[in-house]
Amino acid sequence: MMRRVQLLSALFFLFFAAKGQELDSLFGDSLQLQQELIRQQTVANLSFQFRLLEEPDSGLDSLFHFQQTDSGWVSEKELNWAKLDSVYGILADYNPRLEYVIYQEIAGQNGLKNYLKTLIRTGDFVPGYYPDANTVDLVLEASKDVFQPLHEYKLRILADYKLFWVTVIVLFFLITAALMITSMLIFKSRRNKREQLKKEYDELIIEPLTSLLFEKDLEEIKQITKSDIIDLFPEKLFAKPLFKQVMIERIIGLNKKMKGDFKDKLKAFYKTAGLMEITRRNLESNRWDLITTGLVQVNEMDLSELLQEVKKHTNSSNFHVRSQSGATLLNVSSTVNLDFLRDQKYPLSEWQQLNYLRIIKFVHNTKSLELDKLFASENPSVRLFGIKLVRMLGRLDLLAGLRELSEKASDEEKIELLETYGTTGAHMEVDFINACIQSANPEVQLAAVKVAGQLGDERSLQLIIELFAQNPDFELKKSLMRSMKLLDSETFDRYTQDQYSEEIIQLRAHILDPLLTHV
Amino acid sequence: MKKILIIEDDLLISSLVQFRLKKDGYETLILKDGNEGIKAINEENPDLIITDVMMPFRSGIEIIHHARKEKPDVPIIVLSSLGEEEEVVLEAFNLGVSDFIPKPFNPNELAIRVKRALR
Repeated sequence: MMRRVQLLSALFFLFFAAKGQELDSLFGDSLQLQQELIRQQTVANLSFQFRLLEEPDSGLDSLFHFQQTDSGWVSEKELNWAKLDSVYGILADYNPRLEYVIYQEIAGQNGLKNYLKTLIRTGDFVPGYYPDANTVDLVLEASKDVFQPLHEYKLRILADYKLFWVTVIVLFFLITAALMITSMLIFKSRRNKREQLKKEYDELIIEPLTSLLFEKDLEEIKQITKSDIIDLFPEKLFAKPLFKQVMIERIIGLNKKMKGDFKDKLKAFYKTAGLMEITRRNLESNRWDLITTGLVQVNEMDLSELLQEVKKHTNSSNFHVRSQSGATLLNVSSTVNLDFLRDQKYPLSEWQQLNYLRIIKFVHNTKSLELDKLFASENPSVRLFGIKLVRMLGRLDLLAGLRELSEKASDEEKIELLETYGTTGAHMEVDFINACIQSANPEVQLAAVKVAGQLGDERSLQLIIELFAQNPDFELKKSLMRSMKLLDSETFDRYTQDQYSEEIIQLRAHILDPLLTHV
Repeated sequence: MKKILIIEDDLLISSLVQFRLKKDGYETLILKDGNEGIKAINEENPDLIITDVMMPFRSGIEIIHHARKEKPDVPIIVLSSLGEEEEVVLEAFNLGVSDFIPKPFNPNELAIRVKRALR
């Protein structure tokens, strides 16, 4: 194989070397070149002319239409190279000089050489080609040679690679479309079958479940054995996961709409029927949707036995899993340990905060919640949530914990703390409020000024007066004036009466108007 | 035997209510949507109607309207998850329902209210 390649390479080299030599010999000898041009008769845009140093006689002039130039008399350009010899013969007595003309420019030997090389490359000049040769014969000869493709294929389509690829692409799209339609049909038929089965199972579940709830008391349901369950529901069906799934959905749906001992009976049956194992498997699944389903099941059916599994998901990277596991722990756990919330790595969204707040508001009277744990969280959103909870739940006992937090609080936390102090009436935090009035952050300053109106002291009033003198922006000015009024009406009058500033006059009127107290 | 129509789209709830009322000796008929409910009010001769509010085709409020027009003396008990929505409760009572039981509910409590409504 290697030898064959080497041989081919050598042949190529020899061919191109010979071609190069042929051209060199053609351009090396001007006489030979002229003979070649004469043979060719015409070459694209290449003409010739003769230059005479003496003035030609009038007969020659009428033949060749000489033009006088600075360097002699130049004949008319001639494109037919076949006339070269005859023209030269006529002008021989004047010792004429042959000039090559490419387009309208006179070219030297090199220019001509480059031009002809270009024509050779493009196929417009073929050395050795004779235009007078019998072309009809050539065509006849060619027509005798029947076309044979380089490769013979059984299928004609394979001989044309463009057609082949177009066919492949069209087939690919057709097959893909067919596969998609087929898979959609299969998916739809499976789903319909599943829905049908669910309806059938539904009807099979309703009657035994209803009679169970009315005919057995809670203790009896707790004692139910596997054989009792088989008596109630068909054994083969009860082994099917879909049947159990429908039963879980039904029990959870009913549990939401029932009250009293019916709820307890449903929860007891959920456990004795072994449905808790399905919930456990859901919690151990790798799929987030199954985990969330499992968490909802734990939440709805109060499956406190699975709380350890629930805790594993409190720091899940999936938002839904994380939120639902937190809500489940708050709901189901008898002694809610807020460590899971303190150790949250991900920021709490507003939705999560609202959801947890709703649950905490509901459970905080019955369960001991160590909210101060949240102040120690490394997660700023959790700390902020902790501060908000103190305010929302009115937990005055946690104000001391907030004081510790305030020492290293961020600006955002400071604003939340100030709002909490304002709501809970924490007069003892006046130093913190005064420090915040001097904050470089305008938002903290504004929040502090607002709270200072209710909780401030003489120092606060002094700071407010100083700030007011600096002519701050409208919002801060309004808050300063309102707080000044709340702290000391006389000072308020002294600083706001007889003012030339239209803004202060209007703000004063606004603050003094009892109807606009909360506007 | 008193005949009670149970108009409720949740089959499990209606079955549960039916089971409980049958125990007290009532004849019951389950209707799973508003259209079936209105048809049954016209064709059956119910002594009491228990209806949900949110249902397919026709709402419970439409059923109450119809029942008040066609059977003005038949007591109606509304059983709904919209119990916390004051507007729905007020509208139902304005239309003349006898009772309103919000979900979650206790079937035994419902049975007592049925007995009271039929007295």
